[in-house]
Amino acid sequence: MEKITLTNNLALQHDDVQVKKSACFFCHQNCGVLAYVKDGKVVDIEGDPDHFTNRGGLCSRGIIALKNLDHPARINHPLHRVGERGEGKWEQIPWHQALDEIAEKLVKIRDKFGPEAVATAGGTQRTDDWARRRFMNLFGSPNSFHNAHLCWIPTFMVETAIYGWCPFDMDLGNSRCLVLWGHNPGASYMPVMRGISDLKDNGLKVIVIDPRFTETAAKADLWLPLRPGSDAALALAWLNVIIWEGLYDQQFIENCCVGFDELAQHVQGFTPEWAAPLTWLDEDLIRQGAHMYANNKPGNIQWGVAVDQIGTPAGAAMHARALLRAVTGNLDAPGSDLLTGPSPDFITDEEMEANEWLTNEQKAKQLGSDKYKLTTWPGYGRIAELTREVWGKAPTAEWMCEAHPPTVFNAILSGEPYPVKALITLATNPVNSYGDSQRVLEALRAVDFLVSMEYWKTPSAMLADYILPAAGWLERPTITSTYGCSDFVIASQRAIQPMYERHTDYQFWRGLALRLGQEEMWPWENLEEAFYYRIYPLGYDISGYDEFVEQYRFHFPEREYYKYARLGFATPSRRVELYSSTLEELGYSPMPEYVGPAENEIDHPEVAEEYPLVLTTGGGFMPYYHSEHFQIKELRFLRHEPQVQINSATAAELEIEEGDWVWIETRRGRIKQKANLTQAVHPKVVVTQRGWWYPEREAKEPGLGGCLESNTNVLTSIEDEHCDPIGGSWANRGLLCKVYKVNGTMEEVN
Amino acid sequence: MARYVIVLDTRRCIGCHSCTVACKINKDLPVDMIYNPVTIVGPSGVFPNLHMTHIPLLCMQCDNPPCVDCCPTGASQQRDDGIVWVDEDKCVGCKACVMSCPYGARVPNPAKGIVQKCDFCMDRVELGEEPFCVKTCHQRARIFGDLENPTSEVYKLVNSEHVLRLLPELGTEPHAFYIMD
Repeated sequence: MEKITLTNNLALQHDDVQVKKSACFFCHQNCGVLAYVKDGKVVDIEGDPDHFTNRGGLCSRGIIALKNLDHPARINHPLHRVGERGEGKWEQIPWHQALDEIAEKLVKIRDKFGPEAVATAGGTQRTDDWARRRFMNLFGSPNSFHNAHLCWIPTFMVETAIYGWCPFDMDLGNSRCLVLWGHNPGASYMPVMRGISDLKDNGLKVIVIDPRFTETAAKADLWLPLRPGSDAALALAWLNVIIWEGLYDQQFIENCCVGFDELAQHVQGFTPEWAAPLTWLDEDLIRQGAHMYANNKPGNIQWGVAVDQIGTPAGAAMHARALLRAVTGNLDAPGSDLLTGPSPDFITDEEMEANEWLTNEQKAKQLGSDKYKLTTWPGYGRIAELTREVWGKAPTAEWMCEAHPPTVFNAILSGEPYPVKALITLATNPVNSYGDSQRVLEALRAVDFLVSMEYWKTPSAMLADYILPAAGWLERPTITSTYGCSDFVIASQRAIQPMYERHTDYQFWRGLALRLGQEEMWPWENLEEAFYYRIYPLGYDISGYDEFVEQYRFHFPEREYYKYARLGFATPSRRVELYSSTLEELGYSPMPEYVGPAENEIDHPEVAEEYPLVLTTGGGFMPYYHSEHFQIKELRFLRHEPQVQINSATAAELEIEEGDWVWIETRRGRIKQKANLTQAVHPKVVVTQRGWWYPEREAKEPGLGGCLESNTNVLTSIEDEHCDPIGGSWANRGLLCKVYKVNGTMEEVN
Repeated sequence: MARYVIVLDTRRCIGCHSCTVACKINKDLPVDMIYNPVTIVGPSGVFPNLHMTHIPLLCMQCDNPPCVDCCPTGASQQRDDGIVWVDEDKCVGCKACVMSCPYGARVPNPAKGIVQKCDFCMDRVELGEEPFCVKTCHQRARIFGDLENPTSEVYKLVNSEHVLRLLPELGTEPHAFYIMD
C-alpha cells in the first residue's frame, strides 16, 4: 500500500485526500482517529486531536491499524469447510451461498430442537450487538452471550439493583480521591491514565487495589496489594471502618437510603483485624485506605474488571464495594460517581433489540437463568421494569441479560438441560477467552454447526464450518455509548467501504433475517441508515449519519447532578437500598456476606497442599488486547513470548531463573509461560498473561495454533462451586496453582 | 534560530511503548530496528515497598554530537536548529557513529547497508507538526518544542522543573531533558 505521511494541513491542501472521522475499536476506549483516504484507500491515520477521549494520542494498537487492515492473514472471503472439522481445508464461496446454507441449517435445527438450540457469542466492542439480539429475539432463542459475566455486567446489575443505575460516569474533574479497584489504566485505558496524571498534578489522591505493582500502582498515593480474590473481605472491612468510625454521610443516608441500621449491624464484625489475614494486608493499611476514600470527598470508585472475574465471591465483593459509594454519599453529587441514566432522546441499544418479541416461554429457557438470576432474564426483567418506571428506559439486554457461557458449553457437550446444536461466534475466540479452555475446545469440536465471523483464522475459527470475513473499524461506522447505557453518544464514520468481501456483522444478521422471514423488522439497509434512525430524535439539523459525524460527532447532554431529587432512585423503594429488596426478591442476600476466594488456603487446605501458590490470570497488558494482535509483527516484537510473573524469592526456592520456561498448573490443567522474576508480586502470588496463542503455527488440528500451550484459561475454572451465584462470574483469579520448571524431556516436548 | 528539544516526563510515562511502535510505523522501519525504546527501571525494593520508573530513550540531539564528528563521509550532520540527521546517500555503513554514540541511538540497517537514527521527524517538524512519537503519546510524557522560544512549553519546563540529562559528564550537551519523579 502506498505510504503517504500526511498532516492535517497537508491533507487539506490535497483535495483528492479525504479526512474521515473514524474510531479505533481495538479496545473499548474508542479513541478518535483521523483516516486519510485517497482513491478509496486509507493512506494514513493519526489520533484525532479534536476527540475529547484521546486528544490526538493513539496507543501502539491503534497505530498499527493499517498493518491490521490489509494483513496477509486477514479473512477476506467467505470460507466453507471441505475437509474434516479442524483439518484446515477450505473452499471460497460467495456470500449469498454462505447465507443461504447457514439459514437453511438454522431452520432445520429450529424445527427439530427448538430455536433455543441456536446460541451465539460476541466479542468486545467489535460488533453491533443490538442487531444480533434483534435477530435472536425474532428467531426465538434467548441464548446470546459474551464474556459479559466476567466483564462489568455483574457490577452493573448489582449496582443497578441497589441504586437504580450503574454510576460508571465519573465526575473526576471535581474529585479529590480515586479508587482504582482491580484496574490498571496504565496498561489498559491510556486516555483515562492521562486524565489521572493530569488530575494528580492538581492534588487528586489515587488508591490502587491490586495484587500486582502495576504501571498505575507505581504512580499511586496508596497501594493495597491484596490477596487475589479477597476483595469481599476488603470491601466489608472498609464498610466497617466507615460506618463504625462515623465517617459516613449522615445526611445522604437519612434522606436517600434505606436499611442503614441493618447494614451497620451486618458489618460490625468485619473489622480490619478480621480482614487482615484474609486479604494479607496489614490492618492499618486497610484502615488508611478507608480513611483516604471517606475523608477526601467527593471521591470515585472506578470500575475495574478484576472483581468481575473472581468467581464465587464476585457478587458479594461488588455488592460491598457498591455500598461504599452509598454510605459516603459519593453518588450523583459533583465530583462523585454519577447516575446519569440512559439517554432520554437517542434510541438506545435496548430499544433496537426487539426484546418484546421473545416470548416469556423462551426467556425462561435462557441457559443459566435458573442459577445466575441477576444477569439473566429473571433479574434483568425485574430491573428493566424498575428502570423503565423511573428512567423511562431499560439497560441493554445484550450484555446485561445473557445466557451463561459455561452453561452453554456444557449444554453442547451434555445435551442438558436441552441440546444446543449451533453456535455462531462473531469477533471472538472462545478457546482463548472463556474459562476452562479444554472444555470450551471440546464443545467447539462437538457442536453440530459452528459459524465464525472473524478477522483472523483464530483457533476457534479453525474449527468452524463457515468462516465469514468481518469488516474492521476503518471499514464500518461506530457508535460509542457505553454499551447503550450512557446518556451521551459519540459517533464515528467508516473511512472506507469494507475491503474484499468483508462485511459488518449487521449485514450478516440482516442477510440471515431476510432469508428467515424477518424482512419487515430490518428496514435499514446498512448501519448508517440504522444509526441515522437512532440519532434522529436528538434533533440535530442533519440529513444523514455521516453528516452528524462530520458536523457534530458528540452529543453530550447538559450535566445534571442529583437527578434522584427529581426522579428518585430506580429501586422498589425509590431510595438507595443498603438492604436490597431486589436481591432479596431474587433469593440472594440483601446485604453482602463474606465469601472467600474461589480456591483458598483456609477453606481448601487440601488443595493448597498440592497447589501452594495463588494465581491471578492477569489483566490487560500492552500491546495486546484479549487474544488479539499476536500476528502483528510490529507489535509482537515488544513481547514475543508469554511471561508469568513470580516473586524472585519464591523462584529461587523453586530453582527457577529469569527467562526459564515454567509450567503453571491448577486442578484444571497446565500451561507454559516464561518466568519473569520480580518483586512486583507477593511471594505467594503468580500472575500469568492472558490471551496467548501462536498464529505463526499451523491453523489446524491437532495444535490449532498452539491454543492450549500458553493459554491462561486452561487454568481457570467454570465449575459450579467456582461460579458466583448472583452474577455468574466464573473464577479467573484467586485460584490455587503450582509452578515448576519445564524440564525439556521428550515426555514434556510431546 | 530555533533549537528543538524534547522533554521526557518520567512522572507520566507508563511504558506503553506507543512511541516505539509509532516511530516504527511512521518511519517504516524493519521490526528489529528501534529508534526510541522505553526501558523499565524496577520494580526496585522488596515487596511491598517498591519503586518503578520508565525511561524513554531516543537520540539526544546533542549539541556536541560525537556521531557527527566521527563520520568519515559527512553523512551525519547537524542542522542549525540542532537536529542531528543522516544523509543516507552519503552513508557507507561504517558504523563509526554506532561506536561513538554513548546513548545507543545509532541503528544499523543491514538491508540498506547504512546506519539510521531518530531525526526528530524533521519532515514533520518542517510542516509545523510534532515528531510522531510526541504526537501519539497519550500521556503527554513527551513534550517537543523550541528551547529558544521563551513562550514554549519546553522552555518553561526546562527552566522550572528539576531536569536531568543523561551522561552530562561526557560533554555531549544532550538536548533531551528528563523530568524525574
